[in-house]
Amino acid sequence: MTDASASLHARFGHIQRRRVLVLGLLTLALLLCLGLDLMAGPAGLTAEQILRGLFDPESLELRHRIILWQVRLPDALIALSVGAALGLAGVETQTILDNPLASPFTLGVSSSAMLGAGIAIVLAPALPFVPETAVLPVMALVFALGCGGLILLVVQFVGGARETVVLFGIAMVFLCNALTSALHYIADADGIQQIVFWTIGNLTKAGWTEVWIVTACFLAVLPFSLRHVWLMTLLRGGEAHARSVGIDVARLRLWVILRSSILTAFAVCFVGTIAFIGLVGPHIARLLLGEDHRMLVPGSALCGALILSAASFLSKALISGAIIPVGILTALVGVPVLLALLIGQRRRP
Amino acid sequence: MTRLRAQGVSAHYGRTQILFDVTLPDMANGEILGLLGPNASGKSTLMRCLSREMRADGLIALDDMAQGDYGPAGWRDKVAAMPQSPPSPSALLPTELMWSTARALALDIPDAALAARIEAMFAALGLSSVALSPLHTLSGGKRQLVGLALALIREPALLLLDEPTSALDLHWRMVVLDLVRDRLAQRGGVAIAALHDIDLAARYCDQLALLSQGRVVAAGPPAEVLTPETLAAVFQVEAEIVARPGGGILVHIVRPLPRALHRHG
Repeated sequence: MTDASASLHARFGHIQRRRVLVLGLLTLALLLCLGLDLMAGPAGLTAEQILRGLFDPESLELRHRIILWQVRLPDALIALSVGAALGLAGVETQTILDNPLASPFTLGVSSSAMLGAGIAIVLAPALPFVPETAVLPVMALVFALGCGGLILLVVQFVGGARETVVLFGIAMVFLCNALTSALHYIADADGIQQIVFWTIGNLTKAGWTEVWIVTACFLAVLPFSLRHVWLMTLLRGGEAHARSVGIDVARLRLWVILRSSILTAFAVCFVGTIAFIGLVGPHIARLLLGEDHRMLVPGSALCGALILSAASFLSKALISGAIIPVGILTALVGVPVLLALLIGQRRRP
Repeated sequence: MTRLRAQGVSAHYGRTQILFDVTLPDMANGEILGLLGPNASGKSTLMRCLSREMRADGLIALDDMAQGDYGPAGWRDKVAAMPQSPPSPSALLPTELMWSTARALALDIPDAALAARIEAMFAALGLSSVALSPLHTLSGGKRQLVGLALALIREPALLLLDEPTSALDLHWRMVVLDLVRDRLAQRGGVAIAALHDIDLAARYCDQLALLSQGRVVAAGPPAEVLTPETLAAVFQVEAEIVARPGGGILVHIVRPLPRALHRHG
């Protein structure tokens, strides 16, 4: 190896090590947020009680043990898994569509979930083999996955051009919004309120089952995303370049949309359409970590989880004794962070 | 020793035929073939057919083996293409783009050797100072040079360059084509370059193919292809051909001709 090559290798290695450090700091921030989220609430659990309760649940008095294990932990962990899923879906959608405004919602998946949830709330259909309490998330999931399936059909049979995908996704958003408005029109006041609450997003209805399902979905999809990090990175050099080196971009788009649809469908079906995270989480990660998807993919998942965890903490801490729906707070948490990073980047020489 | 043949190549976009029975001169190892022609004459489409990005009828063979017999991965290993548009102005670093391309293509090179190869390529193309600068901070010319570096990161048997010098100044146009010629001389292979600069094509290309409306109007050595008659027919310009001291030709464009008088069908 020549001195010159060592120089590039060394300089690039330095950048990569700095990025790994940033990933480590994001993980620490996430753990801190998780701790604050577990502590927040009227029960007044201290950090010492939380740590003791996590490792030795029997040492806590029964009331605190139930609050920690049946209320706080599921709420806090669903924030992490939903945030991570939306962050991952967001970064992959933005890259594959080469569109910084793209998010999991661009594809219409969450609007479809909203429609499914709306039908469950207003029409209350009885589904075979589905308990009554699970009809809403199942309907949301089925509609969201159905929308993902439709997009895949469009990619496969109409052509995989990114403009086609975005156009179809936006058409699906308008269609689902129109049908949801029709549901508003026929619903009673209670139904309308339930739909509105669902669309704002709410973490407090999740239990351990929901946590495991969303986490399992994220962990099942993540290896496939990591397997494509080189392809997704070189795609940031442009679609023409990717095609010129023999990459089947249409096929890659198919896989990424499949992953993104599954992640979004499972993320929103239990907690509602929590907006913003899939859009801004990846942008914050990009400002901190650059475009190399080896760093950007885990970074976006971490940023998504961090924003939602911080929003979850604030939703309980801002007004004593009340829980603000978390969807209201995600933008309030994320926008200042994004602005600070943008200003910091502008000031950099 | 690389040998390329393209005979009777036809291609369609949907129902519209773009290339009509295109036959290129057979190319021997180390040669550069220049594709010349006005806009929409089929140069880029022919490039896409040669890179297998687009389906074509007819014979395209490398080392006496037809394109279809290689399989997608086999052909991808043999051919490197530089598209007309430079890499997108994203926040990606040129080094990351080179690195990810090499790894996505599963090039079996250790990290240190890959870094050395990238650094050498950047040094040859004057990109060392921007190797770790985001692409969106680079000029169009620099990004075009990054695009060339990407094509050269492998050692392909067939190098396809679609207007590789369109955004470059006079100095870098010649540096780039010198580099391509040196690479072919040292490591073998053939190159096909779509060019708009006729003098550059005459100077650097061993053979030329003049395209118009998807057909080859003339093909062969530059002195045979670039004549006042062919240039008038294809480009609608009046031109004088001058012998260059030391060999080769210079093309002096005198003035444009009225298009209707020299429409080529």
